[in-house]
Amino acid sequence: MKPLLTHEVGSLDKPAWRVAAYAGRKVLPQQIENAAAWGRRIGVDGYEELVALLDKSPLDREQRRQVARWSSIYGLRFLESAGLDVVYDGEQQRTEMYNWVVAHSDGFDARGSVRSFDNKYYTKAAVNGPVALKAPFHDAEFSLLSDHAASELKVHVTGSYTIAAWSFDERYREHDLGQPADLRRRHRKDARRQLVLDIARNVIRPNIESLIALGARWIQVDEPGASTEPDELDLFVESFNETVAGLDAVFSTHLCFSDYELFFPAIEGMHGCAQYCVGFANDDSRDLGTSDDVRPGYQIIERFRDLPHEPALAVGVLDIHTDFIEPPELVRDRILYSVDVFGGPERVHVNPDCGLRTRSWDVAYAKLRNMVEGTELAKAKLGL
Amino acid sequence: MDVFGYQHGIYPRSEAVVAATRDLERGRTTQESVDQAFAADRAAFARLQSDAGLDFFSDGLLRWADLFRPLAEAGSGLSVDGLVRWFDNNSFYRAPHLDGPPVLTETPPVFDDVLLVPEPRVATLPSPYLLSRVVHGAGDAMVELAEAVLEPAAQALRARGCRLFHLEEPWLGFHGIDRSQWEEFEKAIGAVTGGLDVPVVLHVYYGDGSSALDRLRRFPVAAVGVDLVETDVASLGTKWETGLLAGCLNGRTTILEDPGATAALVVRAAGATGAAAVYCSTNSEIELLPLAVAERKVRLLADVCARVKGALS
Repeated sequence: MKPLLTHEVGSLDKPAWRVAAYAGRKVLPQQIENAAAWGRRIGVDGYEELVALLDKSPLDREQRRQVARWSSIYGLRFLESAGLDVVYDGEQQRTEMYNWVVAHSDGFDARGSVRSFDNKYYTKAAVNGPVALKAPFHDAEFSLLSDHAASELKVHVTGSYTIAAWSFDERYREHDLGQPADLRRRHRKDARRQLVLDIARNVIRPNIESLIALGARWIQVDEPGASTEPDELDLFVESFNETVAGLDAVFSTHLCFSDYELFFPAIEGMHGCAQYCVGFANDDSRDLGTSDDVRPGYQIIERFRDLPHEPALAVGVLDIHTDFIEPPELVRDRILYSVDVFGGPERVHVNPDCGLRTRSWDVAYAKLRNMVEGTELAKAKLGL
Repeated sequence: MDVFGYQHGIYPRSEAVVAATRDLERGRTTQESVDQAFAADRAAFARLQSDAGLDFFSDGLLRWADLFRPLAEAGSGLSVDGLVRWFDNNSFYRAPHLDGPPVLTETPPVFDDVLLVPEPRVATLPSPYLLSRVVHGAGDAMVELAEAVLEPAAQALRARGCRLFHLEEPWLGFHGIDRSQWEEFEKAIGAVTGGLDVPVVLHVYYGDGSSALDRLRRFPVAAVGVDLVETDVASLGTKWETGLLAGCLNGRTTILEDPGATAALVVRAAGATGAAAVYCSTNSEIELLPLAVAERKVRLLADVCARVKGALS
């Protein structure tokens, strides 16, 4: 991987034309015009076909699938035209990072919406039986993107710890509160470990094996829930290792919105992780400069630098929870600070804190363009 | 013995509210439609509590973005910032920052929601220790936050007919407390409860709070709450000076507990502690459950409470 490699992290917002068409609704004229405008702006070959298709809405089942594929190509071109080195499709064909996995796995039943924060929710499922992969669930999108991508692809796969942490475990029934609390806690932890490893072995790993067979070379295991339970970091590491051990691909992991101190020393055991992709901008100041005082969000990165397996660190330089467009100079300074801590650019990569799906395409695009420009400024400063 | 049942904390929103708030953010609906969806949820929750037979009624804090946001946004000296994980949950709050002397300068508009549910009403607020831990830069400002933010908030809710106050204290249960902070904590609790002429329950959860109970039960509160999912009845101690809140239903699992066994556990806890009053509730807020499960937990809570009343009266 080259120094200061730029890439995205995960999801983009689904365009209104995609949402309306996929829901079987009439796509409004302004939504169709939006599809045409973005098609022109980011250089989607043949976008006129999509426009003609949307004009026929409401669409039948096969036409709706075509729209989903178009949105995937739009997501790909969006990221490529923003100038990123490594891209995917903004997860345009997936419902959501958790739901998409459990919907394609046996052993899960949807239970309803649960708030994550503010007005953001996810559909939470319960595990009530043996978990298993129904059928590989990223193959179709990867094959499509392989056919269209001009840039290197990185596939996002939700990790087993996060899937378990975001699910209710109804296989484990803690009825008898009359038992000693310590004993109940041990049983609960044993059940959790079994669930996490079941998902790793029976769902995530076989799905990844299928992707590798199709030619996937870089797989990012998304684990935003990794530090949910601070006493389970070893389990998170064990599940990552179980997921990737012996497989022939580059593996990275994405962590976000956590107390990153919690990951140490546990992740010293993640020998198969070539890159940690981590959000920092959320906790940083917007002041320019490369001193510790103005870069509070990045004080932890020396811990990643010192990991014995010497992975790369993809530093989050865009706060995905705000419409604030980070100026290129701010991106530059966040990168330069990181490079300084790492003692060189070789192990430093650049990305947003997380997926940009909560931002409009206009905002996300402006942020990413500035991220690329800021990276170029940093390279110039470093003589790269 | 007095036995009461009520549901504390933020209650989950319906799919209609979830969709309405999402649509509002995307410019696809109006604030009026969102307000109507919230009103329907509030009415449904009030009806559920009433039909189930609970003793105090909550508005479910349905419009609260998190436990701290209304307080941070209705005053000066506090601002909200990045997301922080809510203990060991896949749920986040925006951490308030202390950037000046904290003052609640106005009554949070969401406090008026409590006027729309039947009396007697229960209010939920963060405990001063919790608040001082989550507010970045609060340092030693626990008492100041209690006096300048929580006390006026409690008074505003008292003026809106709240006859019971529930102070959420998961920090102590999850992280514990340093010995040097006890005095300040007790003083801060006194600052909140001193001017209130109604019972206040201080609820420790997300952990085994038994090592703190010797001190907590001498606090100026009507009852101390324990998390019976994490705490042994045998470790609660005896001869309590306060009442007991038994957090007896797990607010984070979709499994429904057996009401008879749960009631028996509460009765055993009441007997062991000798508490003069028993409050029955969930071990934590139930916002992290899907609505349909939360509804069943509330009905189950009322069932358990009725059985406890039958056993202790």
